[in-house]
Amino acid sequence: MVDRSGQKKPGPVLPFGQRVAGALNPVNWYRKDPALWRESGTAYLYLLPALIILGIFVFYPFFSAFYISLFKWGILPPRPYVGFANYSYIFNDKYFWRALWHTFYYVIITVPVTLFLAILVATLLNKGLRFLSFARTSFFLSYISPIVAIAMVWRWMYNADYGLINYLLSLLNKLPFVHIDPIAWLNDPRYSIPALIILSVWHYVGYHAIILLAGMQNIEQQYYDAAKVDGASGFQTWLHVTVPLLTPQLFFVLIMSLIGSFKVFTEVITLFNGPGPLRSAETIVYYILRMSGRIDSATMHLGRAAAGSVVLFGIIFVLTIFQMTVTQRRVHYQ
Amino acid sequence: MLRKLIVGLLGLLLGTVALAANEPVTIDFWHAMSSGHQPNLQKLVDDFMAEYPYITVNLTYQGSYSALQGKINAAVAAGNLPTIAQVYENWVTPIQSLLYPIGPHMTAEEIADIIDGLVPSNTYNGVLTTVPFNKSIMVLYYNADLIPNPPTTWGEFYDLAKALTVDLDGDGRIDRYGTALRPAANPEQFLVFLNQAGGSILNDDWTAVTLCEEPGITAVEFCGRLIPYTFVTSEYISDHMGKVAMFIDTSAGYNYNKTGATNAGYTLGVAMLPAGPVNRSSMIQGTNLAVFNTPNQTQAQKDAAVLLARFLLRPENTAYWAMKSGYQPVTKSAYQLPAWKEFVAANPYQQAMSDQMLVGFSQILHPNYGDMRTVLSTKFDEIMRGAVSPLDGLRAMCEEIEALLEY
Repeated sequence: MVDRSGQKKPGPVLPFGQRVAGALNPVNWYRKDPALWRESGTAYLYLLPALIILGIFVFYPFFSAFYISLFKWGILPPRPYVGFANYSYIFNDKYFWRALWHTFYYVIITVPVTLFLAILVATLLNKGLRFLSFARTSFFLSYISPIVAIAMVWRWMYNADYGLINYLLSLLNKLPFVHIDPIAWLNDPRYSIPALIILSVWHYVGYHAIILLAGMQNIEQQYYDAAKVDGASGFQTWLHVTVPLLTPQLFFVLIMSLIGSFKVFTEVITLFNGPGPLRSAETIVYYILRMSGRIDSATMHLGRAAAGSVVLFGIIFVLTIFQMTVTQRRVHYQ
Repeated sequence: MLRKLIVGLLGLLLGTVALAANEPVTIDFWHAMSSGHQPNLQKLVDDFMAEYPYITVNLTYQGSYSALQGKINAAVAAGNLPTIAQVYENWVTPIQSLLYPIGPHMTAEEIADIIDGLVPSNTYNGVLTTVPFNKSIMVLYYNADLIPNPPTTWGEFYDLAKALTVDLDGDGRIDRYGTALRPAANPEQFLVFLNQAGGSILNDDWTAVTLCEEPGITAVEFCGRLIPYTFVTSEYISDHMGKVAMFIDTSAGYNYNKTGATNAGYTLGVAMLPAGPVNRSSMIQGTNLAVFNTPNQTQAQKDAAVLLARFLLRPENTAYWAMKSGYQPVTKSAYQLPAWKEFVAANPYQQAMSDQMLVGFSQILHPNYGDMRTVLSTKFDEIMRGAVSPLDGLRAMCEEIEALLEY
């Protein structure tokens, strides 16, 4: 156990310095000191609203998903217990593994690119642009627009024949030695995930940039003054002052975008109206929803859908814990 | 004993009196007809309520089809289904035990009037249970500036598709395809070819897969021959009209395709599908009306809902609904109404849709049809994109569907 000062502690901390027999058992603390009841009672009371909300919307659904994953669960009973048969079904389904691969491919590119661009945008905005609030609003606009509307526009931009993106690419053909054929963004299995990535990066970069910008603006001027006194260049200041002091926000953005990216779905269904050519854009959440019978007029297999959700939860959980332990050591709080 | 008898008789008498007086009854009607269609549906419901003043219908828009499906599923779990709702076959095949059959309360004439192709997809265990409501049919759309006479047979369709596939600017890429298919989104296009070749996915009692028999092979080989002349996409074809000379699509997409054709600078034609080796059928899709037989529904409510369903099936009403919504009438006599004939005369594209409806077929009611459809769309997509040969793709379809027979 390590506290904030980094010193090793000798064992469980006892309230009010009591060191009595059986002190390791918290029950004894309450027996010895009725005041503790009052104190923790108040604390729990304060925690209660959050606990109730989390309980209803997070813990209950999770345990219920795990429970459902052990049954052959159709819309009507009987719902026989099948043990881990749903898990073995999805692990033997090549489309599950493909969906997993598509999702990883998407996450591995989307998360770092979004983060990098967000830092860039935030830094530029922080430079004190003339129309800062206008620029900030513009960047945020992409995030607050409904994804369905965005995907409609992007579907047009991605159009192989009349789309804006292929038009811009075709302009490059005017350069010597450049030849780019029009890309069938939404109809060529190779470009499905890239098309999804471009859309998502564009969609989320503004939101992340605003969070980072808020963090940057909270950094005390004194650090910059000190850097100036030390003769640091602009880039050095950014690298050694701004970025380290921005780590709490960077950490938050990283975790949130990782979790969000693993759950990509709306973008897929609105962009491709389905799983994409040769099911090349079928992500893990798409797979889960298909199994639940909610898309593609599929048959309902809620047990398999729940098993898929539990697996997705496991992946996100492990990655988040990993990130927490690895990254948090580098996070500096002012 | 005597007292019991008297009480019983009294009860019966009171019940009859109550029935005769038609106690007020209120039913909920869930639907997914958005703002454009809703006033027309409301008008029909208002007419119904005027005719049956003791019945109040709460017409409730539940959002998209997907939202409606979600709410019906939730209502199944919560035990508060509405009395009547718009439903797709796949939604109710797993809950058919909760349906209140409408057919037994209809006259023989009313049942016989329903378009033949729509009867099987509303019949559960030999009983007409749901009734068709908003239906569309696959027809042939074509560039009328390019094609003066649309093809009437597979042979003509193939020749024309081949002739119209061209690289206009000589850059090695095809600029216009003879035809287009959306195999992943619309495996029904394959089912049309299958049916026209005389085939089916399963045998009549669902004990065996018949897809890989001779008609299936004929259909898949025809698709295979079309590959070089087909623009294969999962996008809407209306987004690529300039690229395609003719294609098979649902009648419900008429307005989108019309706009697409206008944008691409040509006149859109609509024709019946070219005939296959056995018939000239096409697939009908769309929703039906289901009355629910759950404990929260009283007999009076179910009776009222049946009356509503029968009312909506009346020729003048299904024709009115079709004229206003762009869906197709679901009873044969509707097509004979002067009002409908006038409508078709004013909208010539409707003629092909009407003719096609009368020789339409619809999906099977196997409880695993949803999964079978996923197999069909996945494999059909692989076939048309050349990821697998037509025959291998067909064989894979059969194997995977075989595993779904049991339910």
